[in-house]
Amino acid sequence: MSEERDVHPDCRNASNPYHECTDYCFRVIAEAKLRMQLHHQSVAQASGGSRREEAIPNELYPDEGTHDDGPRPEENSDSEPDQPEPAQENMEDGSFPKLSSRQKKWMELRAKMQEAKKRNQIEIANEKKRMEPPTESRGVSKQKWLEDRKKKIGKLLDANGLDMTKAYMLDTQEAAEEKYKKWDKDPAPFGWDVFNQRTLYNAYKKRTKNIEVDVEEYNRMKEADPEFYRDASSLQYGKAPKISEDKIDKMVQELKDRDAKRGSFSRRRKFNDEKDVDSINDRNEHFNKKIERAFGKYTLEIKNNLERGTALPD
Amino acid sequence: MRICGGAKNKNYGPIQITAEQIVGEARELEESVIHRHHRPPKQKINDGTELGEYRLRKRKEFEDLIRRVGWNVKVWVKYAEWEESQKDFDRARSVWERVLEVDYKNHRLWLKYAEFEMKNRFINHARNVWHRAITLLPRVDQLWYKYIHMENMLGNVVGVRRIFEMWMEWMPERHAWLSYIKFELKYKEIQHARDLFERFVLCHPTVASWIRYAKFEINNGDACSTRNVFERALDKVVAAEDDEEAHKFFVAFADFEASCNETHRAECIYQFALHHHVPKGINC
Repeated sequence: MSEERDVHPDCRNASNPYHECTDYCFRVIAEAKLRMQLHHQSVAQASGGSRREEAIPNELYPDEGTHDDGPRPEENSDSEPDQPEPAQENMEDGSFPKLSSRQKKWMELRAKMQEAKKRNQIEIANEKKRMEPPTESRGVSKQKWLEDRKKKIGKLLDANGLDMTKAYMLDTQEAAEEKYKKWDKDPAPFGWDVFNQRTLYNAYKKRTKNIEVDVEEYNRMKEADPEFYRDASSLQYGKAPKISEDKIDKMVQELKDRDAKRGSFSRRRKFNDEKDVDSINDRNEHFNKKIERAFGKYTLEIKNNLERGTALPD
Repeated sequence: MRICGGAKNKNYGPIQITAEQIVGEARELEESVIHRHHRPPKQKINDGTELGEYRLRKRKEFEDLIRRVGWNVKVWVKYAEWEESQKDFDRARSVWERVLEVDYKNHRLWLKYAEFEMKNRFINHARNVWHRAITLLPRVDQLWYKYIHMENMLGNVVGVRRIFEMWMEWMPERHAWLSYIKFELKYKEIQHARDLFERFVLCHPTVASWIRYAKFEINNGDACSTRNVFERALDKVVAAEDDEEAHKFFVAFADFEASCNETHRAECIYQFALHHHVPKGINC
């Protein structure tokens, strides 16, 4: 080790190569030492316990301490003046110098093992989740969804002594209010009805909200033009007033905004590349998607039976 | 011995092909075609002549396409939008006009054409397009709304009013009238709005329209005119058999009288209502 790091070997983040000890570290170390001494006294009475076993409680910290390391490396400026202190602490306490070489190594190894164990567990759970559904790759039947739901809230239900039918009792007040709002809302029109009277009117209203109403300019125009309130059959239909450039700019900008907004009406779906390929072409794929949308839910059972090879007896 | 066409050995072969394999091979073939063999190389356009050649080629493609699928509006629209992107507005206009010859009833075409003119700042052209559109397809509200919106954005209030008047001659739906009235109210033309409401309740003599009129009077008029409106509406409401609307009307009327502190009149209204209609739970 050519570089000398500003790390106290007793520090709980010592195994982190980027950690530099600060005031906070030293406080923690001091407290730990106090606790250790008390423990040491009790243990010394129980058995001729080796120092190594006492060092073990410290190892619990490296796991938790890994979170704290983020902001610490920035506090470099503080570590220099504190440099002489850890040296002194090392000299004072006779029992602890052993930790500096072997114990530190052991603490590091233990930390790594536990970290690896934790990560393995998480990966196992993820893999299990990933591997299960492909048994029914075409769609999730309602039963499975029900079971999933039961699993999720089953514990809570049992804790409160509720039944599945009373599952709504678990909702908070905010969640309940949102549900009521959803029920009250009219369903959005879809299909051929998208541009019905009401939606056209609402769209128009929304657009006109952005127009500024300039009452003075209006009054000025009123005075300037003798036939301000002209009728549909007025003979002056061809005459158009001078339009200022900035109004035209505004109109063009609004059109461009509308265009941009139009683009965000339907989002791009994620490409699921694990799904079975059942098309020979891009057009074929598109067709299959459409047909799946239309008939998927009716043919789900049939497809699953075919995949399995036999139909189920229910 | 007829072997041709008739296999003697009817067992299945030792090596079977699967559907997945067939599909996979088909896909690979596609990809090799797309990526390696039959795609023309991407060329960069360096100067005017190359640009001219590119345009010529594209135009030829488009014209061939529309000759093949002239009934499909999409290819026409793509052609017109490509010309627009090449900033060749006269050509784009000619393409648009040609489509309209094919199918003038398609309101989407009109919308796109007008939007093309508007985006490229040809205001009078746009006006022309809009006017033709609303003349040919007067019952398509979208065209009216968008034309009005354009004139509104341009601040041409006179134009807006003119278009609205033209529209009202066609006696459109409720929402059209309401948008006209909203427009007048924005510029605080109360008397105008009142006249409009009169025409509105003539055109759509439903209880809902009368209620709307009355609400307007409550907001913008005095008590006298409001009462007048309510009383006139009363005959219509009694004649109409619609209970739901009628009960809403009576509630509105009574609320108004109550807000004018004429509680006696309010009571009379409720009595009257109870006589003539069986209410389904009025909140008194």
